Amino acid sequence: MDLEQRVGRLITFGTYLSIGLLVLGVALMATGGRSPLDPPPAFDPASIPGALAAGRPEGFLWLGLIAAIATPSARVVASLVGYVARHEPMMAGISVVILAVIVVGVALGLASGRAVTP
Amino acid sequence: MEAGVPLLVGGAAAGLFGSLLGLGGGILIVPLLTIGVLGFSLPIREAVGVSLVSVIVTSGASAGVYLQRHVANLRLGMLLELFTATGALVGGTIAFLVPDRLLSGLFTFLLVYTGLSMLRTRTDTEAPVDLPDADGPATDAASAPPSAGDGTAADGRTAEAARPTLAARVSGPGYLVRDIPRGVVGASFAGVVSALLGIGGGLIKVPVMHLLMGVPIRVATSTSNLMIGITASASAVIYLLRGGIDPYVAGPTAVGVFVGATIGSRTVHRVDVRLLRWLFVAVLLYTAFEMGRRALGV
Repeated sequence: MDLEQRVGRLITFGTYLSIGLLVLGVALMATGGRSPLDPPPAFDPASIPGALAAGRPEGFLWLGLIAAIATPSARVVASLVGYVARHEPMMAGISVVILAVIVVGVALGLASGRAVTP
Repeated sequence: MEAGVPLLVGGAAAGLFGSLLGLGGGILIVPLLTIGVLGFSLPIREAVGVSLVSVIVTSGASAGVYLQRHVANLRLGMLLELFTATGALVGGTIAFLVPDRLLSGLFTFLLVYTGLSMLRTRTDTEAPVDLPDADGPATDAASAPPSAGDGTAADGRTAEAARPTLAARVSGPGYLVRDIPRGVVGASFAGVVSALLGIGGGLIKVPVMHLLMGVPIRVATSTSNLMIGITASASAVIYLLRGGIDPYVAGPTAVGVFVGATIGSRTVHRVDVRLLRWLFVAVLLYTAFEMGRRALGV
């Protein structure tokens, strides 16, 4: 199996994982009478384990959304490992810089998130 | 939960088109969520956040298949998404500062120009003399890099001895990538637009790769699908952490998009490229109409 196939499988796995979690969340929305028109819950990563344990839809929905957003970055990490193993410094360097851009995005999001939180 | 059914159906339709055309589907999701056709409407910023998540799912559903079939060009995609991600970072940061109507007007012009360009250059790029298989059916070797993983070039020389250029490194058999600088500019712009409007940026990246960089249309659309994930996630994380994504809307929409995109990725090889191009142009013009209305405030 070459790098493209391994990376492709990782993307597929991450996508199915996130979709599985989202489907569970949507099913719990349906059975629990939740509507897309309801006020949205605040994003609080610390509350996700509790929501999962209690079977609340927002726990599965948040985790599914996180998995979806993280899957492309996981693909870049897998590509980085593959290019390092194949001694391709240029592509490995590109992978590192892409990951650095994502890290900067997380930092900016955390900073701006704190700025808009009352 | 009745309000979730239109989200599932609308998401499925958007995912199907996104997968077939190399778009993220966001170009349909944002209007669906904002113009009230689903029975309710969201503020544009919330729709953008939901759309970004949905286009990531679209990317994942189809990009995994395209990569495993060697249709998408991983090297070219990673080179360009370095710049789409940087652009998305900038766009996500300034998303709340740019006047929406001004941006909509510029975007309308871009859409019309791109659609007309796709129609005008059709005969020039359909079957170039030196690239007889440019738009032909994808094969397992359709977008493999020019050198093998063991460092040996296709003609038997070592990679070191051959010293391939950057363009050669990211090219595939049957085509040589050209004009990387303009591709970089286009990719960066696509990233900014993606973050501002909640689209994957495929409607910019596909013409840039196909028309400017000489990439066959099928490789361009599948590589665009691959790039959309990183492009959208770079700004989606900002929206998520700012509280700009509603999970009760994003969940049903993303599930619908996944279903549609899965169907699209399994039927794209049976779709006539000429039909694909016409569909692409039709979507461009439809979106131009919507964006033009937004720009004019009607």
